[in-house]
Amino acid sequence: MSAKKTKQIAIYGKGGIGKSTTTSNISAALADAGYKVMQFGCDPKADSTNTLRGGEYIPSVLDLLSEKRRVDAHEAIFLGFGGIYCVEAGGPAPGVGCAGRGIITAVELLKQQRIFEELDLDYVIYDVLGDVVCGGFAVPIREGIAEHVFTVSSADFMAIYAANNLFKGIEKYSNSGGALLGGIIANSMNTDFHREIIDDFAARTKTQIVQYVPRSLTVTQAELQGKTTIEAAPDSAQADVYRALAKRIAEHTDSKVPTALNPKELREWSAGWADQLIEIERASERARVAA
Amino acid sequence: MVVALKERGDGLPGAAEQSGPIEQLRYACSMGAMQTAAAIPRVIPITHCGPGCSDKQHNALTAANGYQGGGWGGGGVAPSSNATQREVIFGGTDRLEELIEATLKILDADLFVVVTGCIPDLVGDDVGSVVRGFQSRGAPVVYAETGGFRGNNFTGHEIVARAIIDQFVGAYDGEREPGLVNLWSLLPYQNTFWRGDLGEIKRLLEGIGLRVNLLFGPDSGGIAEWKAIPRAQFNLVLSPWLGLETAAHLQEKYGQPFLHIPLIPVGAKAAGEVLREIAAFAGVSERAEAFIAAEERTYYTYIEAFSEFYSQYRWGLPARFAIAADAAYALALSKFAVRQLGLLPARLIVTDNPPGEYRDAIAAEFRALDHDTEGTVEFLEDSYLIHQQIRSAAFGHKPPLILGSTWERDLAKELKGVLMEIAFPASYEVVLTRSNVGYRGAITLLERIYSTTVSRTA
Repeated sequence: MSAKKTKQIAIYGKGGIGKSTTTSNISAALADAGYKVMQFGCDPKADSTNTLRGGEYIPSVLDLLSEKRRVDAHEAIFLGFGGIYCVEAGGPAPGVGCAGRGIITAVELLKQQRIFEELDLDYVIYDVLGDVVCGGFAVPIREGIAEHVFTVSSADFMAIYAANNLFKGIEKYSNSGGALLGGIIANSMNTDFHREIIDDFAARTKTQIVQYVPRSLTVTQAELQGKTTIEAAPDSAQADVYRALAKRIAEHTDSKVPTALNPKELREWSAGWADQLIEIERASERARVAA
Repeated sequence: MVVALKERGDGLPGAAEQSGPIEQLRYACSMGAMQTAAAIPRVIPITHCGPGCSDKQHNALTAANGYQGGGWGGGGVAPSSNATQREVIFGGTDRLEELIEATLKILDADLFVVVTGCIPDLVGDDVGSVVRGFQSRGAPVVYAETGGFRGNNFTGHEIVARAIIDQFVGAYDGEREPGLVNLWSLLPYQNTFWRGDLGEIKRLLEGIGLRVNLLFGPDSGGIAEWKAIPRAQFNLVLSPWLGLETAAHLQEKYGQPFLHIPLIPVGAKAAGEVLREIAAFAGVSERAEAFIAAEERTYYTYIEAFSEFYSQYRWGLPARFAIAADAAYALALSKFAVRQLGLLPARLIVTDNPPGEYRDAIAAEFRALDHDTEGTVEFLEDSYLIHQQIRSAAFGHKPPLILGSTWERDLAKELKGVLMEIAFPASYEVVLTRSNVGYRGAITLLERIYSTTVSRTA
């Protein structure tokens, strides 16, 4: 066992925004670069690591815990692409029990059994479900777990609201040794105004964009094969984007406390953008008619 | 412009809305209402909660409080799901189902009442659907969501009562029986003397010609009485506030009227007034007068004998008293002390956290302790504050009489006073059938107060 420090990173974002896709590609790129990586899915759906394992589901920590009172964490760790250790926290069926407590329990279980040290990991990447709705989903940003948080967000307002909520969570825990914000991974960036919106949000909240990730058919094709883009299309331009992102995250050292917008600021900010978008729409319509 | 349906009040929230840490508590949590179920003969609570919840509640209520014992089906008998991490994460309904199934096989009861603790209520266990499954098979099971964060055991008590009424007693559109009354009064087990007191209240009501669904305690007929609730002529709420919610529900459900008398009568004065009011409401006044007269003959014969001691004893009898108890006992005993013993109130403290909407009415009752004596009640739950208030009260040159709980032991020594443990927790009393209310209970209370006083320096 070495004394090196495992770099722990948490990736948050609204449901369906591409967190698991992005996280898995970061893990794959880091593994490709020779690092020892664990990807830890923190979502009751337990599908974060699917594309690292040929589309296959793995039994989650909580699946095991539902069968017996004491769980050996090794039984919940599976090897995936490039030797990535894949773990899914799992959780209860929708509508019952407490998924937040499930996440806490699963993370604690691996910590208690000192798995990160034993596996001599360089990176643990937590892929955390949606919004910071309750204490359980804030676990990876609380003291002693992840040091850096990144959020995946598109220019869609609901995704930005979720990111803003995450920033509130980070602000809350920042004084008590919690994780700080590395930045925004801007996903589905296909037009200039997408970039403008997300850039403006980053500026307003005093954070940075780590990488712009365009929407790409390559990703969809890879996922249909149950693979990451790094594995399925390593020579594609999209794979280069993910490798660049992984490199930036690997080199990233200084995270910061973001300045979340309050509800009024957020409303005014989005209303301002809504007006601009209507103007852009009108301008392009005028141009079309003129042509 | 955002406009709410009701404007927010200015300033700090009232005492009833405030919360915070308290020391030396004087009630249990909502799930303590497991003992409400256990107080009904042949009824067993099933506790769906974490390890230790059920034990803490019943130990506080039934051991540290008069060593009453958990009852036939309460206390340590009550089955528990003992919910742990697995039930938190995945929900505990499977475990509850298994527990009810096993309970029905092993335990013999007329009715089982599932009470829930914080865990199932927080994670949102659908306890209702589990219990309805058993109900549809004809099993006598009801459920009450009594998670501790919902309030104290007074809150839990009304939740349990309502659960039994709605899920077990059910609909009724038959005739009502004149002269049959449902009694809603002291909180079983919380009030150390509830068994004897309910027995005495039943004796009084029967004395004036009524038949009583006592509902709780050894003198109750158990679930047959609960089934008979809708047949009663009326509901009698004999307490400052507890039971009002249940009575209002019964009024709505069965169109059954209720009579609210905040004062549990202690001593002949109060008993005569209260019984006359009830008799007038029920239409049995004639019989009541004969009963009251007979009771007063006996009562005042004893008081006459007592008065020799009371007027002649020269070695320091209390002149002023402080009381810290639940609203029902605080009001009942204060009125007795003022009106029948001629004592003056030094501090009047209500400790059961009555809902805000009842507080003005309770305070008004205390203001009218007697025609010439006004009292100011304080609503406090924290023993530190309660002790501060009692310590700073003016007791004159006589030993203070403190009507309180075990928590006042050290304070009574400090003030060189006389302590009567009449409220939860009463850990230096063993209480079975003893009563402090009505005619007979008042005499017993006198004996106890003055035995304690004269033996104070022995």
